[in-house]
Amino acid sequence: MATMIEENGPSSHEQPEVSSSSQARQKLEGLLNKNMRIRMTDGRTLVGLFLCTDRDCNVILGSAQEFLKSTDTFSQGEPRVLGLAMIPGHHVVSIEVEADSLDDAQGFGGNH
Amino acid sequence: MVMKSAVEDDDAGWGLGIPEKMKNNANWVDITHEFKGACKELNLGELLHDKLFGLFEAMSAIEMMDPKMDAGMIGNQVNRKVLNFEQAIKEGAIKVKDLSLPELIGIIDTCFCCLITWLEGHSLAQTVFTCLYIHNPDLIEEPALKAFALGILKVCDIAREKVNKAAVFEEASDFPKCVREDFQAMTYGFKMANNVTDLRVTGMLKDVEDELQRKVKSTRSRQGEQRNPDVELEHQQCLALFNRIKFTRLLLTALIAFTKKETSSVSEAQKLVAQAADLLSAIHSSIQHGIQSQNDTTKGDHPIMMGFEPLVNQRLLPPTFPRYAKIIKREDMVAYFSKLIERIKTVCDVINTTNLHGILDFFCEFSEQSPCVLSRSLLQTTFLIDNKKVFGTHLMQDMIKDALRYFVSPPVLSYKCCLFNNHQAKDYIDSFVTHCSRPFCSLIQIHGHNRARQRDKLGHILEEFATLQDEAEKVDAALHSLLMKLEPQRQHLACLGTWILYHNLRIMIQYLLSGFELELYSMHEYYYIYWYLSEFLYAWLMSTLSRADSSQMAEERILEEQLKGRSSKKIKKKKKVRPLSKEINMSQAYQNMCAGMYKTMVALDMDGKVHKPQFELDSEQVRYEHRFAPFNSVVTPPPVHYIQFKEMSDLKKYNPPPGSADLYLAASKHFQQAKLILENVPSPDPEVNRILKVAKPNIVVMKLLAGGHKKETKVLPEFDFSTHKYFPVVKIM
Repeated sequence: MATMIEENGPSSHEQPEVSSSSQARQKLEGLLNKNMRIRMTDGRTLVGLFLCTDRDCNVILGSAQEFLKSTDTFSQGEPRVLGLAMIPGHHVVSIEVEADSLDDAQGFGGNH
Repeated sequence: MVMKSAVEDDDAGWGLGIPEKMKNNANWVDITHEFKGACKELNLGELLHDKLFGLFEAMSAIEMMDPKMDAGMIGNQVNRKVLNFEQAIKEGAIKVKDLSLPELIGIIDTCFCCLITWLEGHSLAQTVFTCLYIHNPDLIEEPALKAFALGILKVCDIAREKVNKAAVFEEASDFPKCVREDFQAMTYGFKMANNVTDLRVTGMLKDVEDELQRKVKSTRSRQGEQRNPDVELEHQQCLALFNRIKFTRLLLTALIAFTKKETSSVSEAQKLVAQAADLLSAIHSSIQHGIQSQNDTTKGDHPIMMGFEPLVNQRLLPPTFPRYAKIIKREDMVAYFSKLIERIKTVCDVINTTNLHGILDFFCEFSEQSPCVLSRSLLQTTFLIDNKKVFGTHLMQDMIKDALRYFVSPPVLSYKCCLFNNHQAKDYIDSFVTHCSRPFCSLIQIHGHNRARQRDKLGHILEEFATLQDEAEKVDAALHSLLMKLEPQRQHLACLGTWILYHNLRIMIQYLLSGFELELYSMHEYYYIYWYLSEFLYAWLMSTLSRADSSQMAEERILEEQLKGRSSKKIKKKKKVRPLSKEINMSQAYQNMCAGMYKTMVALDMDGKVHKPQFELDSEQVRYEHRFAPFNSVVTPPPVHYIQFKEMSDLKKYNPPPGSADLYLAASKHFQQAKLILENVPSPDPEVNRILKVAKPNIVVMKLLAGGHKKETKVLPEFDFSTHKYFPVVKIM
């Protein structure tokens, strides 16, 4: 978490294209508070509400639940409640959202 | 807030809603690429978030894949199947019958280590319950192991109950995890062997013990017999197992004895733990007979033993579980047990103390050793059995009356005084004593907490004692006017008040001193802390003690006169040792130590040898007021405010104002004085010797400094608290 916060200073980067970045922002904002499923590098999957992200794709999920990888036989499918969880961007393998939530989030999934 | 309500919703229906969604994969659409692409468009440091979700909330998120925060991570790094007990039996990974002796010894020793690790503050789920056998002793067919597993469960259960009952653990300190955790564990279905009675378990252990003893005897070497090394080995192993089972039984029986209400059971427990202690050296010397873990050192520090799965409960742990428990080594097990038993034996001694002040001192002294939570809890529950009677026999009110008699001999509690049988006086004193009993129980309970918490709680209890002080003064006044009517030659002035004031001062002194032990003060703060102690609190304490002493003497004189009147026999006027004389002497010594330290600090400051911070956001006044804040609730003695302190400690009021050399010399004299007093204490205890060990070098150092030794050096002096926790040896580098 600390790295995210520290980097939150005033940005010295100039914004390249206002239109493209504001479009991206809009896309992401459309996903806020939607259920999201993130697979991590160690094979675990977290499901929770998408609350926050940044340039490095660090993602914060609210009321997150952890599911073990499917190969693990022990207590498989039984989730563990994590609450508020931050997944560092470099550990994010895949991101999924529920199809119906895409209706509100323009520009995602539909055009590919 | 959006988030909050979301959490609550999930709590209500988790486990139903989302797993279904998980199975139904058709619902999920992969957006990895787009998402990552969109993120890249954000500015460096920019957070994209909901209006209601800010940095503050983000801070409390746990970071995944961080080994410190992510408890689920460890489980996923291990390349083995984590099996629970039933699964392990099915897969044949674990034996439930025909275990060899070395296997049993190894499992038992590992369990002991887990038990100790638990008592040291780790969670039950990460320690004792990593032993699969403990999960369900009913499935064990091997009688020795079954009895042992049940025994350990009972030990845990009683220990847990004792700790909960005594309530001397804290959420954020040493025992919390296990207490909170084993509550959680219970909800996950761990059985604490509640379906079996204590008696049945000790019986089972005894049966196993007898069986083993037969084996030990049958394999014993006979005279003139050629010894078969195999038989000898079996003999050794049987003996090792026998000792372990017996130890478990004795420990369990001792803990059971503590749950009984009779005082006699405490001495019974003391005997039992002493017997258990006798087995420890034999257990220690036979550790090598047990199987070792098939150590897979490449996987880190969690070796795997048969019957143990460190990760079996990983998923039961809270998400941000601090760390996984490092189980202590078998070699250290016996040493810990013997210390634990020593502590339990000490606890048992408390029942030999009958006086409330003695008990209070006992608690203080015991707490100074920073004992473990189990022994602390046992002490608490032994002292007040089910919160009603002291040691199960004495009423707290009677203890308080005895303490009052011992301390100030108030006329109202003297059999020879007319107030003793006066109806109204009785009402006054009884209601006062009743009001005292709760704060005094709390005071004793405070000493069961760990040292850091004690300080906190001492600060708070001062409020209750301030109320008592007020009441004591009123009762004193009422009793005095009553007594004036009945027996005009006697007085009842400030008796109860003196007693409460004495406790007030003790609490305040302890509060300040413990700050040194906990290393709360910075060097530049020492001078006002020691000033407050020497000039104020100890001065008050000494006058309080001498008032109590003279009150005792007055009472004794009256008794003597009454006796003289009755019998013509001349009473031998022997010089009795005053009961409070030792405490008066000790207070004097402490006061001199504090005064010496105060003058030392002022002089060092004059020489520029005290590092002072650049006060930016605070000032010395802010710090001072914070340090003494709890004293504001006390009426007598009135708190000394910063301005008053500055006036009172101003050196300019002396003519000429003393220089640093004068102050060093004065400090040296104080230490000298403390030394003199302490050397004349009859039968000195370790505390006296500890203070002497500080006073002596400080006398010399102060004399050197007064002579200008190393006056020019700018190296800061060192304060070595290793000899005494409140008074440092000053070292000039």
